[in-house]
Amino acid sequence: MALSSDSSVGRDAREKITIQNVSRSYESTQALDDVSFSVPEGEFCCVVGPSGCGKTTLLRAIAGLDDPDGGSILVGGDPVTGPGLDRGMVFQEYALFPWRTVRGNIRFGLDRPACDCPDCEGRVRELIDLVGLDGFEDAYPKELSGGMKQRVGIARALAPDPEIILMDEPFGSVDARTRDRLHAELLDIWTQTGQTVVFVTHDIDEAVTLADRVVVMDADPGTVQSTFSIDLERPRERTSRDFVDHVARIRDALGSPVDTSH
Amino acid sequence: MSTQTDTSSNALTAETFEGNLQRYLRGLGGLVVFLLVWWVGAMTTQPSYLVPGPLESVYAFIELFATSTTIVAPVLGSSLVLPTGLAHLAQTLFHYVPGLLLGAGCGIGLGLAMGWNGVLDDWLRPLVRVLRPIPPLAWIVFAIVWFGIHHTGAAFIVFVGAFWINFYGAYGGVEGVSTDLTDAASTLGVERDLSMLKLVALPSAAPQVLTGFRTSIGRCWMIVVGAELFGVPGVGTRSSTPRTTSRWRPASPICS
Repeated sequence: MALSSDSSVGRDAREKITIQNVSRSYESTQALDDVSFSVPEGEFCCVVGPSGCGKTTLLRAIAGLDDPDGGSILVGGDPVTGPGLDRGMVFQEYALFPWRTVRGNIRFGLDRPACDCPDCEGRVRELIDLVGLDGFEDAYPKELSGGMKQRVGIARALAPDPEIILMDEPFGSVDARTRDRLHAELLDIWTQTGQTVVFVTHDIDEAVTLADRVVVMDADPGTVQSTFSIDLERPRERTSRDFVDHVARIRDALGSPVDTSH
Repeated sequence: MSTQTDTSSNALTAETFEGNLQRYLRGLGGLVVFLLVWWVGAMTTQPSYLVPGPLESVYAFIELFATSTTIVAPVLGSSLVLPTGLAHLAQTLFHYVPGLLLGAGCGIGLGLAMGWNGVLDDWLRPLVRVLRPIPPLAWIVFAIVWFGIHHTGAAFIVFVGAFWINFYGAYGGVEGVSTDLTDAASTLGVERDLSMLKLVALPSAAPQVLTGFRTSIGRCWMIVVGAELFGVPGVGTRSSTPRTTSRWRPASPICS
Protein backbone atom coordinates (compact mmCIF):
# COMPACT_ATOMS: atom_id res chain seq x y z
CA MET A 1 0.00 0.00 0.00
CA ALA A 2 1.63 3.20 -1.18
CA LEU A 3 1.57 6.01 1.32
CA SER A 4 -0.29 9.13 0.34
CA SER A 5 1.77 11.74 -1.46
CA ASP A 6 0.90 14.14 1.32
CA SER A 7 3.95 13.71 3.53
CA SER A 8 2.17 14.92 6.62
CA VAL A 9 -0.20 11.94 6.67
CA GLY A 10 0.80 9.48 9.36
CA ARG A 11 3.67 11.64 10.51
CA ASP A 12 1.87 13.82 12.96
CA ALA A 13 2.68 12.46 16.40
CA ARG A 14 -0.66 13.62 17.72
CA GLU A 15 -2.57 11.52 15.22
CA LYS A 16 -3.98 8.55 17.11
CA ILE A 17 -5.93 6.91 14.31
CA THR A 18 -5.02 7.29 10.66
CA ILE A 19 -7.33 5.86 8.02
CA GLN A 20 -5.73 5.79 4.58
CA ASN A 21 -7.65 5.03 1.39
CA VAL A 22 -9.63 2.25 3.01
CA SER A 23 -12.01 0.26 0.80
CA ARG A 24 -14.28 -2.61 1.68
CA SER A 25 -16.90 -4.25 -0.48
CA TYR A 26 -19.41 -6.95 0.24
CA GLU A 27 -21.01 -9.06 -2.48
CA SER A 28 -23.02 -6.31 -4.15
CA THR A 29 -22.31 -3.16 -2.14
CA GLN A 30 -19.30 -0.94 -1.80
CA ALA A 31 -19.43 -0.35 1.96
CA LEU A 32 -16.30 1.81 2.01
CA ASP A 33 -14.72 3.46 -1.01
CA ASP A 34 -11.34 5.12 -0.59
CA VAL A 35 -12.04 6.52 2.88
CA SER A 36 -9.31 8.63 4.46
CA PHE A 37 -9.32 10.70 7.63
CA SER A 38 -7.49 10.83 10.91
CA VAL A 39 -8.39 11.32 14.54
CA PRO A 40 -6.02 13.26 16.81
CA GLU A 41 -5.20 11.90 20.23
CA GLY A 42 -7.83 12.71 22.82
CA GLU A 43 -10.45 13.80 20.32
CA PHE A 44 -14.12 12.89 20.55
CA CYS A 45 -14.95 12.14 16.93
CA CYS A 46 -18.46 11.32 15.74
CA VAL A 47 -19.14 9.61 12.44
CA VAL A 48 -22.64 10.24 11.08
CA GLY A 49 -24.32 9.05 7.93
CA PRO A 50 -27.34 7.19 6.64
CA SER A 51 -27.79 3.45 7.06
CA GLY A 52 -25.48 1.53 4.79
CA CYS A 53 -22.80 4.23 4.56
CA GLY A 54 -20.25 1.85 6.01
CA LYS A 55 -19.78 3.66 9.32
CA THR A 56 -20.10 0.45 11.32
CA THR A 57 -17.78 -1.35 8.89
CA LEU A 58 -15.24 1.42 9.39
CA LEU A 59 -15.48 1.14 13.18
CA ARG A 60 -15.09 -2.62 13.04
CA ALA A 61 -12.06 -2.21 10.81
CA ILE A 62 -10.45 0.13 13.37
CA ALA A 63 -11.26 -2.45 16.06
CA GLY A 64 -9.57 -5.12 13.96
CA LEU A 65 -12.76 -7.16 13.64
CA ASP A 66 -13.07 -6.56 9.91
CA ASP A 67 -10.35 -6.74 7.31
CA PRO A 68 -10.55 -4.03 4.62
CA ASP A 69 -9.90 -4.98 0.98
CA GLY A 70 -7.56 -2.07 0.44
CA GLY A 71 -5.89 0.78 2.27
CA SER A 72 -4.51 0.74 5.77
CA ILE A 73 -5.46 1.79 9.26
CA LEU A 74 -2.79 2.96 11.67
CA VAL A 75 -3.29 3.21 15.40
CA GLY A 76 -0.53 5.16 17.12
CA GLY A 77 1.52 4.74 13.94
CA ASP A 78 1.22 0.92 13.80
CA PRO A 79 -0.99 -0.87 11.28
CA VAL A 80 -4.02 -2.68 12.68
CA THR A 81 -3.73 -6.43 12.19
CA GLY A 82 -6.41 -7.62 14.60
CA PRO A 83 -8.30 -6.76 17.77
CA GLY A 84 -6.27 -5.53 20.72
CA LEU A 85 -6.67 -4.32 24.28
CA ASP A 86 -5.57 -0.83 23.19
CA ARG A 87 -8.98 -0.41 21.50
CA GLY A 88 -12.14 -0.99 23.54
CA MET A 89 -15.45 -1.42 21.78
CA VAL A 90 -19.00 -0.67 22.88
CA PHE A 91 -21.64 -2.52 20.87
CA GLN A 92 -25.03 -1.37 19.65
CA GLU A 93 -26.81 -4.39 21.13
CA TYR A 94 -24.63 -4.37 24.28
CA ALA A 95 -23.11 -7.84 23.60
CA LEU A 96 -22.89 -8.55 27.32
CA PHE A 97 -22.10 -12.11 28.40
CA PRO A 98 -25.47 -13.27 29.74
CA TRP A 99 -23.94 -15.92 32.03
CA ARG A 100 -21.78 -13.37 33.82
CA THR A 101 -22.88 -10.82 36.39
CA VAL A 102 -22.24 -7.11 36.02
CA ARG A 103 -18.99 -7.62 37.94
CA GLY A 104 -18.08 -10.65 35.84
CA ASN A 105 -18.67 -8.79 32.59
CA ILE A 106 -16.55 -5.82 33.62
CA ARG A 107 -13.87 -8.18 34.91
CA PHE A 108 -13.66 -10.13 31.63
CA GLY A 109 -11.05 -7.96 29.91
CA LEU A 110 -8.91 -7.72 33.04
CA ASP A 111 -8.42 -11.49 33.13
CA ARG A 112 -7.10 -11.83 29.56
CA PRO A 113 -4.62 -13.41 29.31
CA ALA A 114 -4.15 -13.19 33.05
CA CYS A 115 -4.97 -10.62 35.63
CA ASP A 116 -1.94 -8.35 35.76
CA CYS A 117 -3.49 -5.36 37.46
CA PRO A 118 -2.38 -4.84 41.07
CA ASP A 119 -5.95 -4.78 42.38
CA CYS A 120 -8.50 -6.12 39.90
CA GLU A 121 -11.37 -6.14 42.37
CA GLY A 122 -10.62 -2.53 43.22
CA ARG A 123 -10.52 -1.62 39.54
CA VAL A 124 -13.91 -3.27 38.96
CA ARG A 125 -15.40 -1.44 41.94
CA GLU A 126 -14.00 1.84 40.64
CA LEU A 127 -15.59 1.24 37.22
CA ILE A 128 -18.95 0.26 38.72
CA ASP A 129 -18.81 3.49 40.65
CA LEU A 130 -17.80 5.44 37.53
CA VAL A 131 -20.81 4.27 35.51
CA GLY A 132 -23.19 4.51 38.49
CA LEU A 133 -24.08 0.85 38.90
CA ASP A 134 -23.54 0.57 42.65
CA GLY A 135 -25.80 -2.09 44.10
CA PHE A 136 -26.07 -3.99 40.82
CA GLU A 137 -22.68 -5.75 40.98
CA ASP A 138 -24.25 -9.19 41.20
CA ALA A 139 -27.13 -8.64 38.78
CA TYR A 140 -27.24 -10.53 35.49
CA PRO A 141 -27.67 -8.61 32.21
CA LYS A 142 -31.24 -9.82 31.70
CA GLU A 143 -32.23 -8.11 34.95
CA LEU A 144 -31.02 -4.71 33.72
CA SER A 145 -32.69 -2.03 31.60
CA GLY A 146 -31.21 -1.02 28.25
CA GLY A 147 -29.48 2.04 29.69
CA MET A 148 -27.95 0.03 32.51
CA LYS A 149 -26.79 -2.68 30.12
CA GLN A 150 -24.94 -0.09 28.10
CA ARG A 151 -23.33 1.31 31.26
CA VAL A 152 -21.97 -2.19 31.82
CA GLY A 153 -20.86 -2.28 28.17
CA ILE A 154 -18.98 0.99 28.64
CA ALA A 155 -17.39 -0.10 31.92
CA ARG A 156 -16.35 -3.41 30.37
CA ALA A 157 -14.69 -1.61 27.45
CA LEU A 158 -12.95 0.83 29.82
CA ALA A 159 -11.65 -1.89 32.16
CA PRO A 160 -8.37 -2.75 30.38
CA ASP A 161 -7.74 1.01 30.14
CA PRO A 162 -7.64 1.25 26.32
CA GLU A 163 -6.28 4.33 24.56
CA ILE A 164 -9.20 4.33 22.15
CA ILE A 165 -12.91 3.74 22.72
CA LEU A 166 -14.96 2.72 19.69
CA MET A 167 -18.71 3.11 20.06
CA ASP A 168 -21.21 1.72 17.56
CA GLU A 169 -24.54 3.53 18.00
CA PRO A 170 -24.36 2.66 21.69
CA PHE A 171 -27.48 4.57 22.72
CA GLY A 172 -29.65 3.62 19.76
CA SER A 173 -31.98 1.44 21.82
CA VAL A 174 -32.42 3.52 24.99
CA ASP A 175 -35.15 6.05 25.63
CA ALA A 176 -34.54 9.77 25.09
CA ARG A 177 -34.26 10.77 28.77
CA THR A 178 -31.85 7.98 29.60
CA ARG A 179 -29.83 8.86 26.52
CA ASP A 180 -29.45 12.49 27.64
CA ARG A 181 -28.15 11.31 31.00
CA LEU A 182 -25.79 8.81 29.38
CA HIS A 183 -24.44 11.55 27.11
CA ALA A 184 -23.57 13.68 30.13
CA GLU A 185 -21.97 10.73 31.92
CA LEU A 186 -20.01 9.69 28.85
CA LEU A 187 -18.61 13.22 28.49
CA ASP A 188 -17.67 13.17 32.19
CA ILE A 189 -15.83 9.90 31.77
CA TRP A 190 -14.11 11.10 28.63
CA THR A 191 -12.99 14.29 30.38
CA GLN A 192 -11.54 12.20 33.22
CA THR A 193 -9.78 9.59 31.07
CA GLY A 194 -8.76 11.70 28.08
CA GLN A 195 -9.20 8.76 25.73
CA THR A 196 -9.66 9.06 21.98
CA VAL A 197 -13.27 8.27 21.09
CA VAL A 198 -14.78 7.30 17.76
CA PHE A 199 -18.55 7.33 18.10
CA VAL A 200 -20.79 6.14 15.27
CA THR A 201 -24.39 7.38 15.11
CA HIS A 202 -27.08 8.32 12.63
CA ASP A 203 -28.45 10.94 15.00
CA ILE A 204 -27.12 14.42 14.15
CA ASP A 205 -28.29 15.91 17.46
CA GLU A 206 -26.36 13.24 19.32
CA ALA A 207 -23.24 13.92 17.26
CA VAL A 208 -23.37 17.68 17.84
CA THR A 209 -24.01 17.13 21.57
CA LEU A 210 -20.91 15.00 22.00
CA ALA A 211 -18.29 15.59 19.36
CA ASP A 212 -15.24 17.78 18.91
CA ARG A 213 -15.51 16.95 15.24
CA VAL A 214 -18.19 15.30 13.10
CA VAL A 215 -17.26 13.22 10.05
CA VAL A 216 -20.19 13.01 7.62
CA MET A 217 -20.38 9.96 5.37
CA ASP A 218 -22.36 9.25 2.23
CA ALA A 219 -23.85 5.90 1.36
CA ASP A 220 -23.36 3.61 -1.62
CA PRO A 221 -20.48 3.85 -2.06
CA GLY A 222 -19.46 4.74 1.51
CA THR A 223 -17.27 7.83 1.36
CA VAL A 224 -16.33 10.72 3.62
CA GLN A 225 -18.42 13.63 2.43
CA SER A 226 -17.25 16.39 4.76
CA THR A 227 -16.09 17.08 8.30
CA PHE A 228 -17.29 19.71 10.78
CA SER A 229 -15.56 21.06 13.86
CA ILE A 230 -17.93 21.66 16.74
CA ASP A 231 -16.28 24.32 18.87
CA LEU A 232 -19.09 24.83 21.38
CA GLU A 233 -18.71 24.89 25.15
CA ARG A 234 -19.87 21.75 26.94
CA PRO A 235 -22.44 21.00 28.25
CA ARG A 236 -24.21 22.03 25.08
CA GLU A 237 -27.72 23.41 25.03
CA ARG A 238 -29.75 21.80 22.26
CA THR A 239 -31.98 24.80 21.90
CA SER A 240 -29.12 27.31 21.60
CA ARG A 241 -28.69 29.18 18.35
CA ASP A 242 -25.21 27.80 17.66
CA PHE A 243 -26.25 24.23 18.33
CA VAL A 244 -29.20 24.49 15.95
CA ASP A 245 -26.96 26.07 13.31
CA HIS A 246 -24.47 23.22 13.50
CA VAL A 247 -27.23 20.63 13.22
CA ALA A 248 -28.69 22.44 10.22
CA ARG A 249 -25.32 22.63 8.47
CA ILE A 250 -24.68 18.93 8.94
CA ARG A 251 -28.20 18.07 7.83
CA ASP A 252 -27.70 20.16 4.69
CA ALA A 253 -24.42 18.36 4.03
CA LEU A 254 -26.15 15.02 4.30
CA GLY A 255 -28.69 16.26 1.79
CA SER A 256 -31.04 13.36 1.91
CA PRO A 257 -33.41 13.03 4.87
CA VAL A 258 -31.82 11.27 7.81
CA ASP A 259 -33.76 9.84 10.72
CA THR A 260 -33.23 12.17 13.65
CA SER A 261 -36.65 11.62 15.12
CA HIS A 262 -35.26 10.15 18.30
CA MET B 1 -59.35 0.74 54.30
CA SER B 2 -57.24 -2.11 55.65
CA THR B 3 -60.25 -4.35 56.20
CA GLN B 4 -61.17 -3.81 52.61
CA THR B 5 -57.78 -5.04 51.41
CA ASP B 6 -57.98 -7.97 53.79
CA THR B 7 -61.34 -9.04 52.45
CA SER B 8 -60.22 -8.73 48.87
CA SER B 9 -57.04 -10.74 49.48
CA ASN B 10 -59.07 -13.34 51.36
CA ALA B 11 -61.50 -13.48 48.50
CA LEU B 12 -58.58 -13.94 46.13
CA THR B 13 -57.16 -16.85 48.16
CA ALA B 14 -60.58 -18.46 48.32
CA GLU B 15 -60.90 -18.03 44.59
CA THR B 16 -57.54 -19.69 43.87
CA PHE B 17 -58.40 -22.49 46.29
CA GLU B 18 -61.71 -23.01 44.55
CA GLY B 19 -60.01 -23.01 41.17
CA ASN B 20 -57.45 -25.57 42.35
CA LEU B 21 -60.12 -27.78 43.87
CA GLN B 22 -62.05 -27.67 40.64
CA ARG B 23 -58.97 -28.69 38.66
CA TYR B 24 -58.23 -31.59 41.02
CA LEU B 25 -61.84 -32.78 40.86
CA ARG B 26 -61.76 -32.71 37.07
CA GLY B 27 -58.51 -34.68 37.05
CA LEU B 28 -60.00 -37.20 39.44
CA GLY B 29 -63.05 -37.45 37.18
CA GLY B 30 -60.84 -38.22 34.21
CA LEU B 31 -59.11 -40.99 36.16
CA VAL B 32 -62.40 -42.52 37.28
CA VAL B 33 -63.76 -42.52 33.72
CA PHE B 34 -60.56 -44.15 32.49
CA LEU B 35 -60.74 -46.89 35.16
CA LEU B 36 -64.38 -47.52 34.32
CA VAL B 37 -63.66 -47.88 30.60
CA TRP B 38 -60.73 -50.17 31.39
CA TRP B 39 -62.83 -52.28 33.78
CA VAL B 40 -65.75 -52.60 31.38
CA GLY B 41 -63.37 -53.36 28.51
CA ALA B 42 -61.62 -56.07 30.53
CA MET B 43 -64.98 -57.57 31.61
CA THR B 44 -66.36 -57.80 28.11
CA THR B 45 -63.23 -58.99 26.27
CA GLN B 46 -63.05 -62.74 25.67
CA PRO B 47 -60.90 -64.68 26.31
CA SER B 48 -60.52 -62.80 29.56
CA TYR B 49 -56.70 -63.00 29.79
CA LEU B 50 -56.29 -60.67 26.77
CA VAL B 51 -57.01 -57.55 28.83
CA PRO B 52 -56.29 -57.82 32.56
CA GLY B 53 -58.60 -55.58 34.59
CA PRO B 54 -57.56 -52.79 37.00
CA LEU B 55 -57.82 -54.92 40.12
CA GLU B 56 -55.80 -57.76 38.64
CA SER B 57 -53.12 -55.28 37.72
CA VAL B 58 -52.93 -53.93 41.25
CA TYR B 59 -52.53 -57.49 42.57
CA ALA B 60 -49.78 -58.16 40.06
CA PHE B 61 -48.05 -54.94 41.09
CA ILE B 62 -48.18 -55.93 44.76
CA GLU B 63 -46.89 -59.37 43.87
CA LEU B 64 -43.87 -57.77 42.23
CA PHE B 65 -42.85 -56.37 45.57
CA ALA B 66 -43.95 -59.31 47.70
CA THR B 67 -41.56 -61.71 46.00
CA SER B 68 -37.84 -61.28 45.72
CA THR B 69 -35.33 -62.06 43.01
CA THR B 70 -31.59 -62.49 43.03
CA ILE B 71 -29.71 -60.47 40.45
CA VAL B 72 -26.03 -60.27 39.62
CA ALA B 73 -24.49 -56.83 39.41
CA PRO B 74 -22.39 -56.51 36.25
CA VAL B 75 -18.66 -55.73 36.59
CA LEU B 76 -18.76 -56.25 40.38
CA GLY B 77 -20.12 -59.79 39.98
CA SER B 78 -21.75 -59.79 43.42
CA SER B 79 -25.32 -60.97 43.73
CA LEU B 80 -28.10 -58.93 45.29
CA VAL B 81 -31.45 -60.03 46.64
CA LEU B 82 -34.15 -57.42 45.95
CA PRO B 83 -37.95 -57.33 45.68
CA THR B 84 -38.73 -58.50 42.13
CA GLY B 85 -39.97 -55.09 40.93
CA LEU B 86 -36.86 -53.29 42.18
CA ALA B 87 -34.62 -56.04 40.85
CA HIS B 88 -35.90 -55.49 37.33
CA LEU B 89 -35.55 -51.74 37.73
CA ALA B 90 -31.97 -52.20 38.93
CA GLN B 91 -31.16 -54.45 35.99
CA THR B 92 -32.50 -51.84 33.62
CA LEU B 93 -30.44 -49.12 35.31
CA PHE B 94 -27.30 -51.27 34.86
CA HIS B 95 -27.38 -50.61 31.13
CA TYR B 96 -29.49 -47.44 31.04
CA VAL B 97 -27.14 -45.30 33.15
CA PRO B 98 -23.82 -46.24 31.47
CA GLY B 99 -25.40 -46.03 28.00
CA LEU B 100 -26.92 -42.63 28.74
CA LEU B 101 -23.80 -41.11 30.29
CA LEU B 102 -21.41 -42.44 27.70
CA GLY B 103 -23.72 -41.48 24.83
CA ALA B 104 -24.25 -38.00 26.25
CA GLY B 105 -20.50 -37.53 26.80
CA CYS B 106 -19.55 -38.60 23.28
CA GLY B 107 -22.48 -36.77 21.67
CA ILE B 108 -21.71 -33.51 23.46
CA GLY B 109 -18.03 -33.87 22.64
CA LEU B 110 -18.55 -34.40 18.93
CA GLY B 111 -21.32 -31.77 18.80
CA LEU B 112 -19.05 -29.13 20.35
CA ALA B 113 -16.15 -30.06 18.08
CA MET B 114 -18.22 -29.99 14.89
CA GLY B 115 -20.14 -26.85 15.87
CA TRP B 116 -16.92 -24.99 16.59
CA ASN B 117 -14.61 -26.30 13.86
CA GLY B 118 -15.84 -25.62 10.33
CA VAL B 119 -13.37 -28.02 8.70
CA LEU B 120 -14.42 -30.92 10.90
CA ASP B 121 -18.02 -29.98 10.21
CA ASP B 122 -17.41 -30.15 6.44
CA TRP B 123 -15.79 -33.57 6.79
CA LEU B 124 -18.38 -35.17 8.99
CA ARG B 125 -21.66 -33.52 8.04
CA PRO B 126 -22.58 -35.97 5.22
CA LEU B 127 -21.80 -38.91 7.51
CA VAL B 128 -24.00 -37.44 10.22
CA ARG B 129 -26.81 -36.98 7.71
CA VAL B 130 -26.62 -40.67 6.81
CA LEU B 131 -26.31 -42.09 10.32
CA ARG B 132 -28.62 -39.74 12.21
CA PRO B 133 -31.97 -40.92 10.75
CA ILE B 134 -31.34 -44.57 11.73
CA PRO B 135 -33.65 -45.22 14.71
CA PRO B 136 -31.66 -46.43 17.73
CA LEU B 137 -33.71 -49.64 17.92
CA ALA B 138 -32.71 -50.49 14.35
CA TRP B 139 -29.21 -51.13 15.73
CA ILE B 140 -30.53 -54.08 17.76
CA VAL B 141 -29.26 -56.66 15.29
CA PHE B 142 -25.76 -55.22 15.46
CA ALA B 143 -26.00 -54.90 19.21
CA ILE B 144 -26.74 -58.63 19.47
CA VAL B 145 -24.02 -59.60 17.01
CA TRP B 146 -21.37 -57.31 18.51
CA PHE B 147 -22.16 -57.45 22.21
CA GLY B 148 -24.54 -60.39 22.68
CA ILE B 149 -27.81 -60.46 24.58
CA HIS B 150 -26.33 -58.75 27.55
CA HIS B 151 -26.21 -55.44 29.39
CA THR B 152 -23.57 -54.20 26.95
CA GLY B 153 -25.86 -54.72 23.96
CA ALA B 154 -28.73 -52.80 25.54
CA ALA B 155 -26.34 -50.12 26.75
CA PHE B 156 -25.18 -49.72 23.15
CA ILE B 157 -28.75 -49.05 21.98
CA VAL B 158 -29.21 -46.47 24.73
CA PHE B 159 -25.83 -45.01 23.80
CA VAL B 160 -26.97 -44.47 20.20
CA GLY B 161 -30.17 -42.80 21.38
CA ALA B 162 -28.40 -40.53 23.86
CA PHE B 163 -25.60 -39.76 21.42
CA TRP B 164 -27.69 -38.05 18.74
CA ILE B 165 -29.94 -36.06 21.03
CA ASN B 166 -26.93 -34.67 22.90
CA PHE B 167 -24.99 -34.19 19.68
CA TYR B 168 -27.63 -31.85 18.28
CA GLY B 169 -28.01 -29.99 21.56
CA ALA B 170 -24.30 -29.21 21.66
CA TYR B 171 -23.90 -28.64 17.91
CA GLY B 172 -26.81 -26.20 17.74
CA GLY B 173 -25.66 -24.48 20.92
CA VAL B 174 -22.14 -23.80 19.70
CA GLU B 175 -23.21 -22.93 16.17
CA GLY B 176 -25.69 -20.41 17.54
CA VAL B 177 -23.12 -18.46 19.58
CA SER B 178 -23.68 -14.82 18.64
CA THR B 179 -20.87 -13.18 16.71
CA ASP B 180 -21.45 -10.10 18.84
CA LEU B 181 -20.24 -12.06 21.86
CA THR B 182 -17.17 -13.47 20.12
CA ASP B 183 -16.41 -9.99 18.73
CA ALA B 184 -16.72 -8.50 22.20
CA ALA B 185 -14.41 -11.17 23.60
CA SER B 186 -11.87 -10.51 20.82
CA THR B 187 -11.75 -6.82 21.65
CA LEU B 188 -11.27 -7.78 25.31
CA GLY B 189 -8.14 -9.78 24.63
CA VAL B 190 -9.30 -13.33 23.81
CA GLU B 191 -6.91 -14.41 21.08
CA ARG B 192 -6.68 -18.20 20.95
CA ASP B 193 -9.46 -20.31 19.49
CA LEU B 194 -9.42 -22.62 22.49
CA SER B 195 -9.84 -19.73 24.93
CA MET B 196 -12.79 -18.50 22.88
CA LEU B 197 -14.37 -21.95 23.08
CA LYS B 198 -13.84 -22.14 26.83
CA LEU B 199 -14.73 -18.55 27.72
CA VAL B 200 -17.52 -17.76 25.26
CA ALA B 201 -18.80 -20.70 23.21
CA LEU B 202 -19.20 -23.21 26.05
CA PRO B 203 -20.99 -20.98 28.54
CA SER B 204 -23.14 -19.56 25.76
CA ALA B 205 -24.11 -23.05 24.54
CA ALA B 206 -24.61 -24.50 28.03
CA PRO B 207 -28.39 -24.00 28.23
CA GLN B 208 -28.92 -25.85 24.96
CA VAL B 209 -26.51 -28.62 25.96
CA LEU B 210 -28.47 -29.09 29.19
CA THR B 211 -31.79 -29.14 27.34
CA GLY B 212 -30.39 -31.83 25.05
CA PHE B 213 -29.28 -33.89 28.02
CA ARG B 214 -32.64 -33.54 29.76
CA THR B 215 -34.46 -34.65 26.60
CA SER B 216 -32.16 -37.64 26.26
CA ILE B 217 -32.96 -38.79 29.80
CA GLY B 218 -36.61 -39.25 28.84
CA ARG B 219 -36.08 -40.50 25.32
CA CYS B 220 -33.57 -43.11 26.42
CA TRP B 221 -36.00 -44.43 29.01
CA MET B 222 -38.38 -45.20 26.15
CA ILE B 223 -35.56 -46.69 24.11
CA VAL B 224 -34.25 -48.88 26.94
CA VAL B 225 -37.55 -50.73 27.36
CA GLY B 226 -37.57 -51.42 23.62
CA ALA B 227 -33.95 -52.53 23.71
CA GLU B 228 -34.75 -55.08 26.43
CA LEU B 229 -37.51 -56.73 24.43
CA PHE B 230 -34.90 -58.94 22.78
CA GLY B 231 -34.01 -60.55 26.08
CA VAL B 232 -31.67 -58.41 28.14
CA PRO B 233 -32.89 -58.58 31.74
CA GLY B 234 -34.83 -55.52 32.94
CA VAL B 235 -38.31 -53.99 33.01
CA GLY B 236 -38.67 -54.38 29.22
CA THR B 237 -38.02 -58.13 29.40
CA ARG B 238 -40.37 -58.34 32.32
CA SER B 239 -43.25 -57.01 30.23
CA SER B 240 -42.49 -59.35 27.33
CA THR B 241 -42.02 -62.56 29.36
CA PRO B 242 -45.76 -63.29 29.61
CA ARG B 243 -45.91 -63.34 25.80
CA THR B 244 -44.01 -66.62 25.82
CA THR B 245 -45.40 -68.00 29.04
CA SER B 246 -49.04 -67.07 28.32
CA ARG B 247 -49.19 -65.58 31.78
CA TRP B 248 -50.52 -62.18 30.91
CA ARG B 249 -51.58 -60.81 34.21
CA PRO B 250 -48.26 -59.36 35.39
CA ALA B 251 -47.66 -57.79 32.01
CA SER B 252 -49.94 -54.83 32.58
CA PRO B 253 -48.20 -51.57 31.69
CA ILE B 254 -48.31 -50.27 35.24
CA CYS B 255 -45.86 -52.89 36.45
CA SER B 256 -43.44 -52.56 33.61
